[in-house]
Amino acid sequence: MLRLDRVAKIYRTEHVETHALSEITLHVREGEFVAMMGPSGSGKTTFLNIAGLLDTFEAGTFHLDGEDVSRLDDVRMSRIRNAKIGFVFQSFNLIPDLNVFDNVDVPLRYRGLGARARREAIEEALEIVGLTSRAKHHPAQLSGGQQQRVAIARALVGRPRLILADEPTGNLDSAMANEILDLLEKINSTGATVVMVTHDPELAQRASRQVHMLDGRVIDLEAERPAPLAAGHSAAARN
Amino acid sequence: MFAYQLRLAWKSLRRNPGLSILSVVGIALGIGVATTFVTTYYMLSGNPIPQKSDRLFYVQLDSWSPERSYDRDRPDAPPDQVTYRDMVEIMKSKIPTHAGGAFKADLTVHPAGDGQKPFRQLVRMCFADFFAMFDVPFQFGSGWDARADAGPEAVIVLDDEINRKLFGGGDSVGRTLRIEDRDFRIVGVLAPWQPLPKFYDVTNDAFDAPEGIFMPFNLVRPLEISTAGNTSNWGDGAGEGFDGFLQSETVWIQMWAQLDDEEQVQSYRAFLDAYANEQKKVGRFQRPLNNRLSPVMTMLKDQGATPEEAVGVLIIAILFLVVCSVNLIGVLLGKFLARAPEVGVRRALGASRRWVFVQHLVECELIAVLGAVLGLGLAALGLELLNRMFEAQFAFRLDLPMVGAGVLLALASGLVAGIYPAYRICRIAPAMYLKTQ
Repeated sequence: MLRLDRVAKIYRTEHVETHALSEITLHVREGEFVAMMGPSGSGKTTFLNIAGLLDTFEAGTFHLDGEDVSRLDDVRMSRIRNAKIGFVFQSFNLIPDLNVFDNVDVPLRYRGLGARARREAIEEALEIVGLTSRAKHHPAQLSGGQQQRVAIARALVGRPRLILADEPTGNLDSAMANEILDLLEKINSTGATVVMVTHDPELAQRASRQVHMLDGRVIDLEAERPAPLAAGHSAAARN
Repeated sequence: MFAYQLRLAWKSLRRNPGLSILSVVGIALGIGVATTFVTTYYMLSGNPIPQKSDRLFYVQLDSWSPERSYDRDRPDAPPDQVTYRDMVEIMKSKIPTHAGGAFKADLTVHPAGDGQKPFRQLVRMCFADFFAMFDVPFQFGSGWDARADAGPEAVIVLDDEINRKLFGGGDSVGRTLRIEDRDFRIVGVLAPWQPLPKFYDVTNDAFDAPEGIFMPFNLVRPLEISTAGNTSNWGDGAGEGFDGFLQSETVWIQMWAQLDDEEQVQSYRAFLDAYANEQKKVGRFQRPLNNRLSPVMTMLKDQGATPEEAVGVLIIAILFLVVCSVNLIGVLLGKFLARAPEVGVRRALGASRRWVFVQHLVECELIAVLGAVLGLGLAALGLELLNRMFEAQFAFRLDLPMVGAGVLLALASGLVAGIYPAYRICRIAPAMYLKTQ
């Protein structure tokens, strides 16, 4: 699903060059649930931004779902993000003016779907995260856990094949964090690939593979080659 | 998709009402001022009789002195009016569909009603053709006929204002009105009529109101009615006595002809040239042949009937609108950049830069439309204020083309103000705003 080969990312200021990613090579197979671990500044989020086509890189190649996405124009990258990738963020990133229904609707709006198709998809996504009854609520009226479940509904409403979660439980207590992990596992069990950045070793243990990063490098040799898929995580199992 | 973007724009405006009101009021002020003065300019420089302005010709004959030009600033220009004797002669031509000379006089009206005192009133001395030629609208009766011209008969036409003043606005046709020392029978009452500029006579002030009473021109000689307008003469001056004045080289009459096709124009031009050449034989028209037939808009331009101040004010008003737009750039830039985290999320969820750009332009144009509504209201107030300042000399009003111009100006301002902020927000790096909000 993800194939990064010798990808390098450098942040430059007038006087300083920071190597955020130092020619990392990382392959993630379709249907995997990968936990990315490492200290702050190790390059996890940079990796996630590149994997989500939200940031560019200086060297190397990146194949997403078999397609070379290293140098695409903005419109094409936006389409791929919309069609193939779902994002879950630490701080939920819901749009405060929009109610739950309209927040989940956002990615579908860029896909040009009709009202009925959108409504059905949104209702299905809200049912998966157990928030059907909260469709008309605004984010401020929800708990942190509920907001993150809305964010997950938004991430999965377009049926993406890749979920990128950046510390999705970072702002939640342990009970809520486990609920969110349950949801991510549920999504993964349908065949979607999940890549989750986390600092929590316990939660990382629930992933099918852990990848450790340090100073912009992948330090876990195991990460260089895909792990065998866990039972029920087959790509073919999705839909 | 546009409906969705419009909905988002509306939500954005409601999110920060103070800033939104500031933006809308900023545009509204610009539109209010600009539309007020664009309307003023439009009405002052517009076509006062669009349905036939290209068929109405102002007639000029160069009967002026061979020793000096009539207009020092425009040495090639013939006099802007004609002499009485020339008018009488060229009125004999049957070529024009309508034709006639005219001038304004200042006469004393003696109202018949109790308690109404005599008053001075500007009167237009003209021929029967005046009303048909200039499409003058009537509410009661009509103009007089050629027989009344030939008589001449003591008949008059009143305008709406005088009719209200003297007869309460009722149908006064058939009643009489004493002017100077003679009774005149009223044959018609005009509907409100105020061409801007007053194209048929721009010799004093192109923006004067039309005269309140219209009277057959040929009463000039028996009643010895003098002009209250401009007179210019050379040679022996204005002559001795009233007949001497009429036979002098004094120019004081505005001459018009309606010529409906090119053939008519050519024929009438040939007629005028032939007349001028005949006059040369008897010692008049000693300057090179220089007769002119000018359509309405050409005449207005030649006579400088659009006040220069109007052009200056128009430029200042447009500059004011530009300043308002530029000021709005800063407001919008701050507002849009404050929304970068939301834009980052939308970009992550699939919005392209182009979509973000258009989304923000839609918001700018929504502000512009709201500004246009408020601004047009301000413009209507501004025009009313101008009308009061000039005591009904003008009747400035917002008509449909001016409302359209106001809306277009607003949309253009929204675009000018919005392009840079929309460009900036669509170029943000989404990754920067997703980690923390």
